[in-house]
Amino acid sequence: MPAYHSVFNEDASVRQIGNMAVLPINTKIRGPAPIASDPSEPDIIEESLDLFRANCLFRNFEIKGPADRLMIYLILFISECLTKLSPTAGRPSPSYQEASKQLSTLAVDNFALPGDAGFPLNSLYHPPASRADADALRSYLTQTRSELAQRLCDRLYPPEHQLGADGQPTGQMGPRATKPSKWWMSFQKRRFMGRSLGA
Amino acid sequence: MSRQAPLVIDNGTGYTKMGFAGNSEPSFVFPTVIATHQSASSTSSSTGGSGSARAPPPVASKPGHLASKRGIEDLDFFIGDEAVANSKTYSLHYPIRHGQIENWDHMERFWEQCIFKYLRAEPEDHYVLLTEPPLNPPENRENTAEIMFESFNVQGLYIAVQAVLALAASWTSSKVSERTLTGVVIDSGDGVTHTIPVAEGYVIGSSIKAIPIAGRDITYFVQQLLRDRGESGAIPPEDQLKVAEKIKEDYTYVCQDIVKEFKKYDSDPYKYFARFSGEHSVTGRKYDLDIGYERFLAPEIFFNPEIYSSDFLTPLPEVVDNVIQTSPIDVRRGLYKNIVLSGGSTMFKDFGRRLQRDVKAIVDGRIAGSEVKSGGHMKSSGLEVNVISHKRQRYAVWYGGSLMASTPEFYNVSHSRVDYEEYGPSLVRRFSVFGSAT
Repeated sequence: MPAYHSVFNEDASVRQIGNMAVLPINTKIRGPAPIASDPSEPDIIEESLDLFRANCLFRNFEIKGPADRLMIYLILFISECLTKLSPTAGRPSPSYQEASKQLSTLAVDNFALPGDAGFPLNSLYHPPASRADADALRSYLTQTRSELAQRLCDRLYPPEHQLGADGQPTGQMGPRATKPSKWWMSFQKRRFMGRSLGA
Repeated sequence: MSRQAPLVIDNGTGYTKMGFAGNSEPSFVFPTVIATHQSASSTSSSTGGSGSARAPPPVASKPGHLASKRGIEDLDFFIGDEAVANSKTYSLHYPIRHGQIENWDHMERFWEQCIFKYLRAEPEDHYVLLTEPPLNPPENRENTAEIMFESFNVQGLYIAVQAVLALAASWTSSKVSERTLTGVVIDSGDGVTHTIPVAEGYVIGSSIKAIPIAGRDITYFVQQLLRDRGESGAIPPEDQLKVAEKIKEDYTYVCQDIVKEFKKYDSDPYKYFARFSGEHSVTGRKYDLDIGYERFLAPEIFFNPEIYSSDFLTPLPEVVDNVIQTSPIDVRRGLYKNIVLSGGSTMFKDFGRRLQRDVKAIVDGRIAGSEVKSGGHMKSSGLEVNVISHKRQRYAVWYGGSLMASTPEFYNVSHSRVDYEEYGPSLVRRFSVFGSAT
């Protein structure tokens, strides 16, 4: 059983820029992304978040379609976010509010597109055909990154279970955790496909 | 004349299992290690090769202590757990490497204490059943026979192939309907995992595959996961390996799908995350840590070696399928039907179920493929894939030996002292297999 693939690979109707799929997402953030027809269905962002922990254990991945390319990109972006939030000497991990601020900034920050010199997977991605395409891709990815950053924060800082007097959970949810979940942060050092967006 | 129960001794690379035939558990299980004084080991009659862990070359050993002056320094040694306990003042040697005996002098002394000090048996009154790895050279068998008959003067000897004994041990499982000696044995100990096809008691040597992933690697992987999460800060450095081992043994299981398993942990953390409490082995200080995804990720390295190693990438189910596909065509059906687990590293919960599912998926995929290629003209009747796991899995080889040696047939197939005196060591080059017609 090799690494997991996107379920959106089969969808032939999806627009592509370069050879990356431009999939619909559920978001309130403004941008050019197509709106998902059914908001209750998980979109590519949800899928990337779900597959992140499993897939980043793998170093080899066979790309099966345009949606996989988008997913790889998003998974690498999640890794980048985790690195950003990890504590370093003299700087502890940020709180929920601060983290979501930091990640939103990171999401809209300048980043490399396929074909640019700094893009890590240039051998697997075609560059956008035209200037207009490149702009469209950039704004689509910016929007997706922002939405992803928001959802990632929600997962990293889950509301803590309230414990009863006996130490067992009461089923009520308390306030959000003050530190990012170590169950996620432990995957920060693992590199999906041995790549990262940063370097 | 009533006979004494045969001795059953299974010498593995890591552990030696020994006891008496007819018992359901070995009487002793301890590391295959011998502790000698440095001076004594320089006389070793080793077969050469990997010499890193062995004593320096024999430069006229100086009689350093009193015992050596009396000429009894070769009695001054320990084996097993006692050897480990004395490792500060003695030097440890592992006489078996990769399943094969490398140092005959050490091995002979190891057996000596096995029989006299631990089993407390008189070898001249007993038959002995020893085990050997598949593809053991006949010279090794001859050496073994020489030691057994000439040093210990045993009544009779049988050297059985470990895989065959593991097959015999699986007869205790309720899933086994007929007692056959055809099957694939997956033997996973501490150092290496073997998949060994056996047809009617004979090992198909050309199809054996070794997988460099076994118990020790799982322990290392658990350790790595703990370290990645920053959990190891709580564990004293000298206990790290022990804690990882304990977690491996007590908490892990095989999951059916990693992504689904991650989701289960997300939705019900209190059910799945566990807490481990330990005690510092020296100071007695208490510490505890969280156990999480390593519970199912650890054994996962058998099914997805990629997540642990970078040079070995073939999943276990694929290896099993390859092994069967390279075996003679007329036994393949029997091999798929009887995949038997043996050894401590196959004890993970649901290991057999997952393996069966994955092998079945490979086989069904291939059958479907050839049905399509035939243009719908051929229909397969399907192929039965069975992975047998049973209660005696941990010491399956020893248990199989105990089972075999307690049958009356055992005395017919083993070589007796009289035969040895007649023919000499070359006798053991020929062995008849249990259950075969001859």
